Amino acid sequence: MDLSRRGFLQAAALTAAASGLTVACGGGSGSAGSKNGKNLTLWYWGGALSDKVVAEARTHFSGQVKLTAASIGGDFKQKLTTTLAAGASVPDITGIKGEDMASFLPNAGRFLDLNDLGFKKIASQYLDWKTKLAQTEDGKQIGFPIDIGPTALFYRADLFDKAGLPTDPDKVAARAGTWEEYFALGTELREKVPGTYLVNNIGSVFTMAVGQGTERFIDKDNHFIGDQGHIRKAWTTAVRPYTLGLDAKINDNTWNAAVGKTLSTELGAAWHALDIEQAAPKTKGKWRVCAMPGGPANQGGSYLALPKQCRNPEEAFKIISWILSPENDARGFTDAAIFPAAPAAYAMPAMTGGDPFFGGQKVIDVFGPAAKAIPAAYEAPADAAVMAPFMTELSSIEAKGKKPEDAWKDAVAQARQIARRQGVN
Amino acid sequence: MLSHWRQYLAISPFFLIFGVFSFFPVFYSLYLAFQRWDGLGTVQFVGLQQFRFLWDDPVFWLSIRNTLVIWVLSTVPTLFGALVLATLLHSVRRFKGFYRIALYVPNVTSIVAVSIFFGAVFSNNFGLVNAILGTVGISPVPWLSNPWLIKLVIALLMTWMWTGYNMIIYLAGLQAIPAQIYEAARLDGAGPIRTFFQITMPIMRPIILFTVIISTINGLQSFSEPQVLFGSNAANPNLGGPGQAGLTTLLYFYQSAFVNNDYGYGAAIVWAFFVLIMVLVVVNWRLVQRGRKS
Repeated sequence: MDLSRRGFLQAAALTAAASGLTVACGGGSGSAGSKNGKNLTLWYWGGALSDKVVAEARTHFSGQVKLTAASIGGDFKQKLTTTLAAGASVPDITGIKGEDMASFLPNAGRFLDLNDLGFKKIASQYLDWKTKLAQTEDGKQIGFPIDIGPTALFYRADLFDKAGLPTDPDKVAARAGTWEEYFALGTELREKVPGTYLVNNIGSVFTMAVGQGTERFIDKDNHFIGDQGHIRKAWTTAVRPYTLGLDAKINDNTWNAAVGKTLSTELGAAWHALDIEQAAPKTKGKWRVCAMPGGPANQGGSYLALPKQCRNPEEAFKIISWILSPENDARGFTDAAIFPAAPAAYAMPAMTGGDPFFGGQKVIDVFGPAAKAIPAAYEAPADAAVMAPFMTELSSIEAKGKKPEDAWKDAVAQARQIARRQGVN
Repeated sequence: MLSHWRQYLAISPFFLIFGVFSFFPVFYSLYLAFQRWDGLGTVQFVGLQQFRFLWDDPVFWLSIRNTLVIWVLSTVPTLFGALVLATLLHSVRRFKGFYRIALYVPNVTSIVAVSIFFGAVFSNNFGLVNAILGTVGISPVPWLSNPWLIKLVIALLMTWMWTGYNMIIYLAGLQAIPAQIYEAARLDGAGPIRTFFQITMPIMRPIILFTVIISTINGLQSFSEPQVLFGSNAANPNLGGPGQAGLTTLLYFYQSAFVNNDYGYGAAIVWAFFVLIMVLVVVNWRLVQRGRKS
């Protein structure tokens, strides 16, 4: 992220200026351009789509339209928001990160309803819970699911073996079915193989535990529920490894140095496999994956959307439904570790092969069922902002030894204030 | 006036660009401070509500405290170190150009690269500093998780970056002092320390005050250092490090406006911060006035 102070201030000034001008002009968006243009632009970020599939889409549709794909770096959401607010040079097709989708939904009017273009007919091909997260209350579909991030437990089979624990994924999953069992396993591992930790930080446990529930911090009626039982339970779960001494307390950028050295397990989404592989190439073949304690959650996963200014909605929709067809989605997994949102892809040869990094294990056997079992939870626009103080307070426990009970109270108070600021009652 | 229209036309691009990209946004942000806006939807007038929230927001006050602590921890050693280095460099006879460049280079290196480097060097578990401390039997120091040490590392980073810059300014000031004054002092039997405090310091006073003001402005705007040191990603939005010990006011503003899409609140934060900077400028100005009178 190359953002100098000066550059940042300039960007901020530009943003304000651009939006100010739009307001001044009465928000004249969507008026320019005809609706059957021959040039279409596609915005995505590195790793959001398979570059090979995008390149093929360009030739595949060259008879009808000229598709220009741009890989946008930096803060993608910020750039998209600015462009949409300005109403000029808006891309015809754009990616939206899964975690940003909730904050775009209140402004669904800025995007086309994909159901009008035929998404309804093919929606059943994609995971229902994922599709719903890009849907407004009144049923407008603004996002076409690209990928998802089903979570699992990554573990070091060699260390498990050394500790006399089972190494087979099914057996490990059976031994670590619940969070408590997982921590007990970690304690045993810690005794046999000193110097290893179970989790990198307790914030990651909290994220996972919250994701396993059907409710988050704000309910559908726009009430703050971050102080209730389900969050409290996730919090207690997160604090456990800290009190048991299984927490590596890594809150800085040294995670990649710890992987393959002191971290014996990792909780993460399917795409996390690539992170581990890049951070610790020497541990190739020693890792395995199994079902996550307490059930799967989702982390990450993106969408494609058509802004209202799209110059040729019919063709644009054809392009995205081609790029994200189950066959091409499966290729995304091979090319860029993008885990498809279309379950039909899970049975395709591109995904059923063994992964040498995981000792030849067929990881789809773990992620496939996890993808289908992810609980659907309503995500409010302010959800990410309201979750932040919980993460901060958990890091305070690790960094300053703050009492978990005090940290909980401060987190709830702070979260409630942010919620009120963002219009949650 | 109209007879000079060519000249006015020639300088107009600056004022046009300034007006559009600086003047207008500044006042637009003031307007935003009284609204609630998510960046795309409708702008809703909320009166002084954002400032009410700000007043009750412990994180805002924490960020102000952090900023001031980091500012003091970085400005004092920066200016003192710069003056000492400038004096040393002034008396050096050989390799003058080399020393000047070597000491100035940190200021022109990318702040992002420096922050990444510092993050690696001071890392709790695998950092170079802790590795060196380990060889002499000192147990690892939690540089990037202890609330005070986080601030110290950020301050150290800023000191490293800005000492050379201030040194160049001081050096220019030192070179403007006539050599005769020093000769006279030497004839009167003043040693180097006495010369420094009785001659160099008083003559340099306006230059030192200039650097104090520049450092105030730079130091209070610390943003990139904690932003890069405690980098954010989808799973971990940047909260200014463990316990928010490295959360500076500008970083908090950035988070509120651009991460949480709460532009009205972000505007309120920067305007409140602007008032604080104005107070500090007045304090500085008072100090200058007092210096003139005595």
